[in-house]
Amino acid sequence: MFSYYIELALRSLKRSPGLTLLMILTIGFGVAASMTTWSVFRAVSGDPIPSKSSKLFVPQIDMWGPSSSSPKDPDYGQPPDAMDYNDAVALMGDHRAKLQSATYSVTPSVVPADPGKHPLHVSGHAVYGEFFPMVDAPFQYGSGWNAADDEHRAQVAVIGSKLNDKLFDGANSVGKTFNVDGRDYRVIGVLAAWNPQPRFYDVENTGGFVGDAEDLFLPFTTAIAAGMPNTGNTNCTKVPDAGFEGLQRSSCVWISYMAQLDDAAAVGAYRNYLEGFARTRYASWPSNVRLRSLPEWLDHLHVVPSDTKVSLLIALGLLIVCLVNTAGLLLAKFLRRSSEIGVRRALGAPRTAIYAQFLTEGAMIGLAGGVLGLVLTGIGVASVAEVLPRDIADLAHLDVSLLATTLAVSVLASVLAALYPTFRASRVQPAWQLKSN
Amino acid sequence: MTLHPMLSALRRHKAGVVLIALQIALTLAIVCNAIFIIGQRIERIHRPTGLDENNLFMVAQQWVGAPTGDDQATTDKIDSMVQADLAILRNLADVESATSINSLPLANSTWSGGISVKPAEKNETAHVAYYFGGKDLLRTLGVRLVAGRDFTDPEVQHRAFRAPNQPPIVILSKVLADKLFPGGDALGKTIYFDGSSSPSIITGIVERLQSPSVDIWSNDFAWNTALIPTRLDATYSRYAVRAKPGRLTVAMQEATAALYKANPMRVFNFDGKGTRAFADLRAQTYRADRGMAILMGVICVILLAVTGAGIVGLTSFWVGQRQKQIGVRRALGARKVDILRYFQTENLLIAGGGAVIGVVLAVGLNMWLLQRFEMARIPVWYVLLGVGVVLALGQAAVFAPARRASNVPPVVATRSV
Amino acid sequence: MLKMTHLSKVYRTEVVETYALRDFNIDVKPGEFVAVTGPSGSGKTTFLTIAGLLETFTGGEYRLDDVDVSNLNDNQRSRIRNEKIGFIFQAFNLIPDLNVFDNIDVPLRYRGMKSAERKQRIMDALERVGLTSRAKHYPAELSGGQQQRVAIARALAGSPKLLLADEPTGNLDTQMARSVLELLEEIHREGATIVMVTHDPELAARAQRNVHIIDGQVVDIAEEPRFHHAEQIAKAGAAGA
Repeated sequence: MFSYYIELALRSLKRSPGLTLLMILTIGFGVAASMTTWSVFRAVSGDPIPSKSSKLFVPQIDMWGPSSSSPKDPDYGQPPDAMDYNDAVALMGDHRAKLQSATYSVTPSVVPADPGKHPLHVSGHAVYGEFFPMVDAPFQYGSGWNAADDEHRAQVAVIGSKLNDKLFDGANSVGKTFNVDGRDYRVIGVLAAWNPQPRFYDVENTGGFVGDAEDLFLPFTTAIAAGMPNTGNTNCTKVPDAGFEGLQRSSCVWISYMAQLDDAAAVGAYRNYLEGFARTRYASWPSNVRLRSLPEWLDHLHVVPSDTKVSLLIALGLLIVCLVNTAGLLLAKFLRRSSEIGVRRALGAPRTAIYAQFLTEGAMIGLAGGVLGLVLTGIGVASVAEVLPRDIADLAHLDVSLLATTLAVSVLASVLAALYPTFRASRVQPAWQLKSN
Repeated sequence: MTLHPMLSALRRHKAGVVLIALQIALTLAIVCNAIFIIGQRIERIHRPTGLDENNLFMVAQQWVGAPTGDDQATTDKIDSMVQADLAILRNLADVESATSINSLPLANSTWSGGISVKPAEKNETAHVAYYFGGKDLLRTLGVRLVAGRDFTDPEVQHRAFRAPNQPPIVILSKVLADKLFPGGDALGKTIYFDGSSSPSIITGIVERLQSPSVDIWSNDFAWNTALIPTRLDATYSRYAVRAKPGRLTVAMQEATAALYKANPMRVFNFDGKGTRAFADLRAQTYRADRGMAILMGVICVILLAVTGAGIVGLTSFWVGQRQKQIGVRRALGARKVDILRYFQTENLLIAGGGAVIGVVLAVGLNMWLLQRFEMARIPVWYVLLGVGVVLALGQAAVFAPARRASNVPPVVATRSV
Repeated sequence: MLKMTHLSKVYRTEVVETYALRDFNIDVKPGEFVAVTGPSGSGKTTFLTIAGLLETFTGGEYRLDDVDVSNLNDNQRSRIRNEKIGFIFQAFNLIPDLNVFDNIDVPLRYRGMKSAERKQRIMDALERVGLTSRAKHYPAELSGGQQQRVAIARALAGSPKLLLADEPTGNLDTQMARSVLELLEEIHREGATIVMVTHDPELAARAQRNVHIIDGQVVDIAEEPRFHHAEQIAKAGAAGA
């Protein structure tokens, strides 16, 4: 029976090609606009580490006290988004989570051994050894460093695959040394391609999205000992003493912190610990701490740009208009066939058959619109890369799931648009059309 | 022609009329807000920074193996490297002037702090973005001094990057000066930076100077800026350079080559190129806004095209359906123009009804966006413009089918179905 | 076969109630050829649409093939229309988008028949009405008489127990009308029950029995059923010409 409806639908669509084309174009453009903006939204709102994002937590401590912000501020009463050096190091020392790491971003220079080569500007992070298993960083060669290396400020480094290509031609470089800002570091691990977006372990400094993968990870303790200054944001309520050491003594915040807590009990225990920590350390005001899970944290920092959300909303609005438009055209088209419907009903077509026939026609338009939508979405995603900021646009891409969604949305949308017109068609009384006089 | 028979005719196509009115309403709501977003972005992109942007470029680099530390000896050593770089840049044939600077408007990297009019005040009077620069700072940037005087060369100090900011003299943007001293008598007054008790005297006021960041967090002090005659000495340095008129490209090439030749132990920023023309900086900074405006523009075009085509399609159907009726009207003496007017008026009624709902939806959508996404309130004239656009669109779309209707011959009346 | 007892049909608007049928009684036996006559507006067509389950009635009882149809839902009514009733309309009511073959196919599709059986039935029905060669033509390419033959073929293809005809020759010229009528008589001879609505007394005269409706009521039922005789047909045919 279904093939009969398809046959009837094709016949009907062929009969008014202009109208059919109009509806296909409408659905195609509406779906493509939505899917293009959706591809961007999907790219920036994705979970950077789906396997364990619910187990990663960001602790926040109010080390400034309630007088540091005024009730007018949008984030009044919120502890700062980053930590000062003393709190970060104290939390690391207490080591209450299963895995944890304080991190700060660095952009030192790497000096190649070959004097003919230019020095390289690299970006990376100073982290603790537990960072690598905590964020599931994939290793191509070697591994991260251990707690003893952290403690002894070992001159070791984990490098990204790109830097490994530049310095060691991509070979297994574990055990080799290279020079960073005048000091030698031994390669202990080489990462495989790893560029999580958003850069969840340091949203404060990256804003979320960064083009290139990181080149370099050094032990936090080693970097501090080397006086390797932080790059990125530093927020202060009081002017710190001079120098990087002055910054370390100050209450300025510039360090990100992340902890892995595997179950609700661990989260509860850690929250209690944080409360206690803040109470003893900052006794002059009520303890004010937060322990946000990674998804909550990304939301708190507005990682998804509001432009992306607004674009998606406006494009969905366009899709709705396209739906209403198609519904109007289908209504006119279906009701024009009232006499056919009357005859079919008289010849024994039940209402369900009328529904099936006309919804099939709607679905066919959706299918054709979807195919057009696929092409237009492809063009849209490519064009978006030309106009949107690179770090975001580069993340938007076509894949099987996007294409399948495009088709599904298109068919669903046109069936939805056909619902009311079909309902009206099914209400056509068989008798009315047969009173010929 | 009276409206009554037309209304009763419309009532017979209730669903079709409702759908097309709804479509026009939604189109109006979305187009208004989209055009409003476009307008805001264009305005934002085109607001002047206060600089003379032509022929201006920025150099950014980082020394390799430069001494680290914050003691005086290290600071002096680095300052001599900064001075050496500036000398090289100033000596280039195609360079007009150059200065060290921590950032530029639209360069994003921001150093901000608080200003008070009283010493050691905990609560700041205004938040401010700092520009730390040396000799030729105002000349290189091309900012316009509207009161007071420029810095003299001996007044320029230097200090370690992380040392406290306590300059004896300072030049402020007019917006900031007026905010601190609403009487308009800021010149010569004393202010205090970052809660310190060390006084700074306002020696000059510039007409306009934008903060480095255009992000939302810096909105409060977007035009509150202070020029401070201090070279900052760090392991990296940035320079603002003004090329001789028309020599920008050449000057940029010369700059990196000369710096590298003098000291190869450095890495250049900006993807290794080391220089970026101010125009590129502007384009990059406003890329998101430009992209958003383009996206909204494309959506508007599609939306209007879809709605226009929908009206053409539906009206054509109605014309087809009413062939006989039109024939009868013609037979009864209606002129062609009467038939044309009939369909035009009918469309005006439907579009007008849709527009009324659309105005409500447009304002509602704007209020919702305002609440959730920090948008501004839509001015009335945008909504009125939107109403005009959809009514005109309706009339344009209905014209062809209405013309076809007016060409239906009266003889149709005599034919059976 | 078709039995209506005290049946009534009321059309209500905001202002008035109009009785289209009132205390309407009729009993058509299997194999009968009944003509229903009456002036315009008498309720003939209302009777036919109710008989064909195209419309519901307001009161009384209607048994079709010994089934009380008053409480059937839309699906059951559709099924009865599809399987037991064949319609022949004055305006033919062919679907203009479908060719002859596909038009006849419509009721068979809704019966869910296999493709081979449908094809067989369609070809049989076309042969019956003598239009085998026109299977691929569209209704617009046929004369009125041919269109009505297609409509009859469509009605016959489903092997209905009851044929309902509404002024089947109303839109045809005399020549074509005669051939259509002969076709109906032939179908009747083969055992079908036919109920035909007409205001043409000559046409009515060719049925076995006449039922006359005035103001929604049956006023006169001929006592003696007339039986078919070949000569009678010939005579009426000549009269028609």
